[in-house]
Order: sequence, then C-alpha cells, then structure tokens
Amino acid sequence: MSDLFPNAWHIARREYLTRVRSRTFVIVTVLLALLGVGVAMLPVVGRLIGGDQTVAIAVHADDRTLQSTTVATLKLILNASEGATAYKVTGANDAAAAAAEVRSGKLKGLLTVTRGASGELSFDALTDAGPTDQRLFAVRQAVTQLNIGDRLQRAGIDPSQAGQIFAVTAFKVTPTNPSAHQPQDVLASAYILSMAMVILTFMAVITYGVWVATSVAEEKSSRVMELLVTAATPRQLLAGKVIGTGAAGLTQYVAVVVAAMAGLLLQGQVARLVLGDTRGASLEGLSLWVLAPFGVFFIGGFALYCILYAGLGSMASRQEDVQQVTGPMIVIGMVGYFAAFAAVNVPDATWVQWASLVPFFSPYMLPMRLLLATVAPWEWVAAAVLMVLFIAGALWIAARLYSAGVLLYGQRMGIRAVWRATRVHR
Amino acid sequence: MSLVIDSITKRFGPVVALDGVSFSVEPGRIFGLLGANGAGKTTCMRIVLDILRADAGSITWEGRSNIELPRRTWGYLPEERGLYLRMKVIEVLSFFASLYGVKPAAATAEVEDWLERFRIPQYRDRKVEELSKGNQQKIQFIAAILHDPAVLIMDEPFTGLDPVNVQLLKEAFLEMRDRGKTLIFSTHQMETVEELCESIAIIDAGKVVVSGTVRDVKRGMGRQVVRFATDGDTDEVAWLDGLDGVRITAHREDYVELAVPTGTDPERILRAALDRGQRVTRFEIGEPSLEEIFIEHVGRPADVEEERHLASSGKAPAREAKP
Repeated sequence: MSDLFPNAWHIARREYLTRVRSRTFVIVTVLLALLGVGVAMLPVVGRLIGGDQTVAIAVHADDRTLQSTTVATLKLILNASEGATAYKVTGANDAAAAAAEVRSGKLKGLLTVTRGASGELSFDALTDAGPTDQRLFAVRQAVTQLNIGDRLQRAGIDPSQAGQIFAVTAFKVTPTNPSAHQPQDVLASAYILSMAMVILTFMAVITYGVWVATSVAEEKSSRVMELLVTAATPRQLLAGKVIGTGAAGLTQYVAVVVAAMAGLLLQGQVARLVLGDTRGASLEGLSLWVLAPFGVFFIGGFALYCILYAGLGSMASRQEDVQQVTGPMIVIGMVGYFAAFAAVNVPDATWVQWASLVPFFSPYMLPMRLLLATVAPWEWVAAAVLMVLFIAGALWIAARLYSAGVLLYGQRMGIRAVWRATRVHR
Repeated sequence: MSLVIDSITKRFGPVVALDGVSFSVEPGRIFGLLGANGAGKTTCMRIVLDILRADAGSITWEGRSNIELPRRTWGYLPEERGLYLRMKVIEVLSFFASLYGVKPAAATAEVEDWLERFRIPQYRDRKVEELSKGNQQKIQFIAAILHDPAVLIMDEPFTGLDPVNVQLLKEAFLEMRDRGKTLIFSTHQMETVEELCESIAIIDAGKVVVSGTVRDVKRGMGRQVVRFATDGDTDEVAWLDGLDGVRITAHREDYVELAVPTGTDPERILRAALDRGQRVTRFEIGEPSLEEIFIEHVGRPADVEEERHLASSGKAPAREAKP
C-alpha cells in the first residue's frame, strides 16, 4: 500500500477537479439541491395550497342558552386536545340555513342539541363524515364529556368538584424490555429515518458507482489508459479513481442532503412565516450517535462499491458496455435494498443481525438496527473489521481485473475470460 | 550496458504473439523495429514496458531486469494516441509529468520549451480536443519525454503526420539521441528507418527474422544491387538474366534492378553490355534497400498488411482482443 501515494493523489486530484469544474456537474448539483429543498418543504407547501385545515362545526339548539354553553364547552374540549385552533365551533340560530351550508361543504357538520322531557340531552349530527372519521369521533367524545358534566350538574354536583372528576387519569406504560421498545412517536420517526438512510445509501452507491465505472471505460475508449498504465500501477490508478470520483460524488451528495436537511429543519420557521403557525417537522432520534456510525459505514460501503465498479468498468471497451458489465453490482445493491425493506419490520430477527454485518449491507442495516433495536458492541467491531477486509479484498480483485481489463479491447468479455487473462501481475 | 531482449515468448490463448524474440539495442542510438501489423511489435514494446509479462525470457537494461527498473526509466508513445481531450494542453502534460514525480514548475518550463520547438507555443492553454491530429501527436510525444526517460519507446510515431511534422519529429529524435537517450520506434516507413536508425530488427509472425546494424543487415543479404539502363528498350536486357547468377529483380520505368551475388564482380555486367554493343546510360552499384530486404524476409511489403487491416476493421472497437 505504501506505493499508493503520491500518484493516487495526483490521479484523484485530476479526476475531482475535471468533474467538479464541468458545467454539467454544477448545473445538476444545483438542480438536485433545489429539488431536495422542495421535497423537504412539501408539507408546508401542501398546507399552503390546501388552505385552512380548520374544521368548522355549527351548533343549534332551540334554547339559546343551551346553544351558547354547548358552543363554549365544545370549543374548549376539542381544541384542548388538538392544540391551536383545529376546530371552529359557532352557534347557528337558523338550523335550516346551517344544514344547507353543511350540504354545500362550507361547514363540516351541524350538531343539533335538544333537552328531552327527562332533562337528558340528546345530540344529532348532520355531516358527510363516515362513522370512522377521526374528527367525528373527537366530537362524539367531547359531546359525551359535555353530557356527563350536564348530568353531574343536574345531580347537584358543584362545578369545581366536577373539574376534579374530569382530571386526567394517571396512566403509565412500562415496557417489558425498556431498551428495545421506544415510545410510539419516536419509533415512527426512527422508522422514517431508517428508510431514508437505506434509500440515500442505495442511491449514492448506484449513481456514483456508475460514475466510477464510466470514467474508467472512458479512459479505455479514449486510449489514455495505455499511457496511464505505463506511468502508474493499477492499484494507484484504481485508488485515485475511486477517491477522486468518489469525492466528487460525495460533494454533490452532501450538497443535496444538506440542502434537504436545512429545508426540513427550517420548515417550522417557514411555516410560521407563511402560515402563521409553528407546526414543523422535527427528526426525533437524529442524533450524533446515529449519524456518526452511519457516516463511517457509509464511507466504507461507498468505497467498497466504487472499487468494484472501477474493476468491472475496466472490462468495458466502450461506455455503452458499462451497464452490462456492472450488472452484478446492481444485483448486490438491490438485494440489500429489498432486504432492508423487509428488515425494517423485524429489526430483531436473527437473519437481520447477520445480514447487518455483511459489508455490502452494513452501511444501512447497522444504523437501522441502532434506531429500531439494539446493536451489541462486538457487532460494531465485527462489521468494521469485515468492512476493512472486504475493501482490501475488493482492491485486490479490482486491481487484477483492471491490469488485465484495461488493455483488452473487443468483444464483451465474461468475468471468467478476464480472470484467466489476469495471470500477470504486480 | 545495452537494452537486451532475450528469448521473449508470449502467448494469448492459442495465439503465439512472440516466439523467442531476441535482439539488443545499444545505448544512445536510434533503433528501428520493423514488421507488418500483427507481427508482434506492440506486444514486444508492452513487455519491455512491463505492461504485459512475458511467458518466458528476460529483458534487461544496463544489466537490471525491466521488472525491477523504475517506471521513469521509460518514455512511451503508444500507437493508439490518447490524451484527456477536455483538458488544457499544459494541464494534461503537467498531470502525466506529476505521475513520474516531476515538479509542476519544472514540467511547465520543459513543456513551453518543447511547444516552442514544435512551433505550437500558442496552444499551451488550449483544450487538447481543439488541436489537429498532428498537433495532438506532438503533445503525445512531449508527454512521453517530460520525465527525462533514459529509453524512449515509440509505436508508429510517424503515422498520420504531414511531411513538415515528420521532419520536426525527426529533428526531435536526433535531439533526444544527442542528449544521450536511447530511442526505439516501430514503423512501416522504410525511408525513415534508413535515415535515422543505426540498427534494426525485422519481426514477422512473432519471430525476429533479422537484426543488427543496418550495414550488417544489408551486407548479410549476400548480394549487391545494380541499377542498370541502356539507351535501348528495357526489354532488350533479358540476356542479363542467368549471367553468372545475376537476376533481374525489378523492371522500373527507365532502368532495371539486378541482384548480383557477392562472389560476382558487377563490372562483368558492364563489360558484357559493351561487348553486345549497347550504350550504357546508367550503371550504379549499391546495397539493397531496407524495403527489398523486408520483402525478401517477410514475403510482402511492410505496408500491405497495414492497408488491408485498416480497410477491413476500421478502428479500435472491432479489433480483436489483442492485449
């Protein structure tokens, strides 16, 4: 390895600069970053376009006093649980007009309250909401509470005592395995985060891997290769190519991810500016403890894929052949991708534990398990050791393919044919 | 102290590309490697450069195996030209120089010197793709010598150059030789070899058919060449055939070429002609040209194979897998 530098560095530098300076790179990066921000801002945009999400309900009672107390109580109960002003409750003196407004969609529902001869309240809701509608359910609960309050009052219970009756019940959940099971909202966030990591890693590896392979094939088809192999060893060329192209790919990648993250985190502020409320998204569970191992394993996995892509790329005579010769890498990537989708629902399964140690999958499987389950210290060590071994092995295999492949032109060659041609070398 | 190629054999599957190839190149000389396409010249060069490994045989330069020698010993101009087309001339050249450990400042000075010599200083900051084929080839030559290699190996360096550029490149060759460098190049153009090379090797079908100094190769042919003409019709010289082993080897426009065995005095021809009452208008004793030597050894002119190859296969993509 000691002879890798400085030549690998010179090659990486050339590779990086030519790529980053190219107009295509700049344009594509800017467009992707804008797209990232756009996707992150989608919820805010959706709310902006969707307009006021407030649910408007009208209450009618022939008894005006009953009507106004019902309105006041419902307002209080409904909006207490949902926060802010999710429900707009108004009194409707003209029941027929309000019913018409419900039918035209202007109102979500009309609640008619009547006091029977026994003094018991009964409610009649006119709405297009189905029986399982969340909001109808909320209204029903609120109405039940209101009714109980009314009964208590009629039974002569003091309103202050009634307040005690309605005090929140103490209810605590104790998980059987405290470290494995996290509260539901944190879990949901972790789930989304895991899938994001899987998708982002998969996309990075496939996209930039193909960059590496294409650039190797390009050097072959432009015949620069013959000059390169006399000036540098295949391992220097390979390392330089992977570092240079990989760094250019990461530059684009980081620019896009940072833009999207910024969009996500600034969502709250933007929402307040545009919509006047503060409901932004927060990424629960996104901490340094997750990001650091993800970053380290991402770089490792990225290098592993790129090295193999470069080796396979050297077997293509022209850029058109690149897709074909790099087929095996796509297959490996896809296997990991689908395995990860299956694993996210059973993060504790034994097969997931073992799969997450495999260097091709560990970059996203391990952080996923960290988020959704637990990872033992030895597993981190084992995965890291395997990653280093695989990278060394990949470098060896790819260098061998490379030293034979770079000078082979002509018909498409199978891996076995190339392998046989690799008895040479360094 | 020379470059010694000793019994190199190289197979590609069933094809024997080189079969016990041996020759040696004296340091500080210009050496010509002649052969038709597919004869094994490129493979031979690649083995010297250690891009390929021979199945058998050894190569030494100044007594050291080519496998141990540092890469900067060699400068290489491949047959298939290749540069990074979208980079500037100065950037491409500095990049290749950097791979051999040449500092950027030194590389830049050297590049400017050579661009001046090749009369293209204005292309220093132009992209390679904007240059003509001939000028790209000059850039490729500069790329091969920037790190001051002891041995320059060039595969068909003159192909595709116009006469002016051929002349410039020849001057560059002589300049490098005067700096004490050893130059090896392959070509089809026999006149260039006659003009530049002290020694040659002719390769055919993976074997060296003849090698040595040009003078020895010519003398080794065992015959002299006489160019002969009379004021009569060229048809009237049929009597020459059969005269003490003399053979008519070629009917030219206004003279015939005769092969005369070394044991025969060429003046006998002159005397015989005069005895027959013919007026001799041309009588010239010379050595056989390299062209003739090549044809005699290989059985066809060097460029016949080349033309057929180009016509049938176009360029690179359709080419046989030939590492």
